[in-house]
Amino acid sequence: MNKKIPVIAKNQKIVYTAFIIVAIILFVLTSLYTKFNIFTLLKNSDEFWSFIVNDFLPPALPKASSIGGVLSSVLVTLALAMASTTVAAILAFFVALFGSEKISPFPKLAKYVRAVATFLRNIPALVWAFILFSSLGIGTGVGFVALCITSFAFMVRAFVETMDDVSNDSVESLLTVGAGFPQRVAQAIVPSCLSGFLSWFLYCIEVNIRASTIVGMVGGGGVGLTLFSYIKGFQYDVALSIILLIALMIIVVDRITAMLRKELQK
Amino acid sequence: MDSILKFDNVSKIYSNGTQALKNVSFSVNEGEFISVIGPSGSGKSTILRSINKLIDISSGEIYFDGDTVSVQKGKNLRHMRRKIGMIFQNYNLVYSLSVLQNVLHGCLGYMNGISGVLGNYSEEDKKRALSLLQELGMKQFCYNRASDLSGGQKQRVGIARAIMQNPKLLLCDEPIASLDPSSAKTIMDLLKDMTHKRNIACIVNLHQLDAALKYSTRIIGLSKGTVIFDGAPSEMTDDVIESIYGTSRENLMMGGAENE
Repeated sequence: MNKKIPVIAKNQKIVYTAFIIVAIILFVLTSLYTKFNIFTLLKNSDEFWSFIVNDFLPPALPKASSIGGVLSSVLVTLALAMASTTVAAILAFFVALFGSEKISPFPKLAKYVRAVATFLRNIPALVWAFILFSSLGIGTGVGFVALCITSFAFMVRAFVETMDDVSNDSVESLLTVGAGFPQRVAQAIVPSCLSGFLSWFLYCIEVNIRASTIVGMVGGGGVGLTLFSYIKGFQYDVALSIILLIALMIIVVDRITAMLRKELQK
Repeated sequence: MDSILKFDNVSKIYSNGTQALKNVSFSVNEGEFISVIGPSGSGKSTILRSINKLIDISSGEIYFDGDTVSVQKGKNLRHMRRKIGMIFQNYNLVYSLSVLQNVLHGCLGYMNGISGVLGNYSEEDKKRALSLLQELGMKQFCYNRASDLSGGQKQRVGIARAIMQNPKLLLCDEPIASLDPSSAKTIMDLLKDMTHKRNIACIVNLHQLDAALKYSTRIIGLSKGTVIFDGAPSEMTDDVIESIYGTSRENLMMGGAENE
């Protein structure tokens, strides 16, 4: 009489319960393995808060003489992201043409092109930066190359998929009129895929603004390096203003690219 | 009448083992209007696509306009393809371009690489494209984006692009399968009219038996990759239809069985 009526199927309930149990077990195991204990964090929270309140707050402006330098370092970061994405996009476009079986004049090579791109993409920009700094030294040029490699590889994959989705039919029809490979690219692929390409390009700029800050911190120059030098100099309050500035920069760029991408989809 | 296309014992086996064509032989003369009919999977599309080498055949040989199709490569293949217009079920236009640009794509095969890439079409080509659009009743849409057109209008642009190639042969792969009955009739009328005027041979894959009987000068019936009928529409008896589709003519007409 008082038996409760279940609202979900019994086997679904088992799946959910099993899922929760597995999640808890994994949490315990990984905590043990990494010796991370949430309670030490809570026990030391006083230290943490005093660090935040005393060292970080309130945010302070850098010395008047260095404000110009900070702002120009923001511009360097923006320029680094823009320039590397643009160069990467142009290279990626030409390589992507050979990465799609349907379009490439050498369809058998397409999967190798994609494999190389996947490999390059799965190494984070930060790792590339470290590798390149060790071999080529520190500087914005190296940061540029590191960002270029990852966004190039990402855009090759994204462009290939855009082309596979959009232009198979129209490419086939240009094949039947007797158009050559460059003509098919210019007359069918570019017009049908341009907005898709631009949308991925803008997305890549968003990603690279963040990545260029990080790459900058380890030696690529720009606002990341400025931030890092204040942290190393224990000027945490100035560092906080720069962190807020970075957040503002990223939000503004995100907003602009999101707006443009929406516009492109119309 | 000269033969412009000849299938000699052509077979096609796809890499997954499907035998799409079995020893198909026939020839096509100038100006003929041929319908290829048969159920789905009987090899209609394979026949069409092997003529312009979108599909490579497994054995036998196809001859088009004095050339052996299977040995054509690179430039020669492009020069052969520009003499063969093709019309698709899904129109296959470049939807982000204007109607006029889509029609002008028909002359890409005659242009050198760079001017084709840049879209530098000659004034004569543009005039010809516009007069073709006028003939098809589409001139007022020449600057519309191809994506804004209705299905029947898109197919008319497809026809204009194919005729723009000055083809000797027109291949139509289910040209009316995505259209409503009234647009379908317009398209079939236009196809018949435009190819007849220019003495272009035309091969049409059709699912609509009535259209095949009405428009064709000759019908080829396929079943499981084999030609089981090749003759005039008047020779198409109910027995033939039954052997092509595996069912009686009454069953092919929607609701036909109940009406009788």
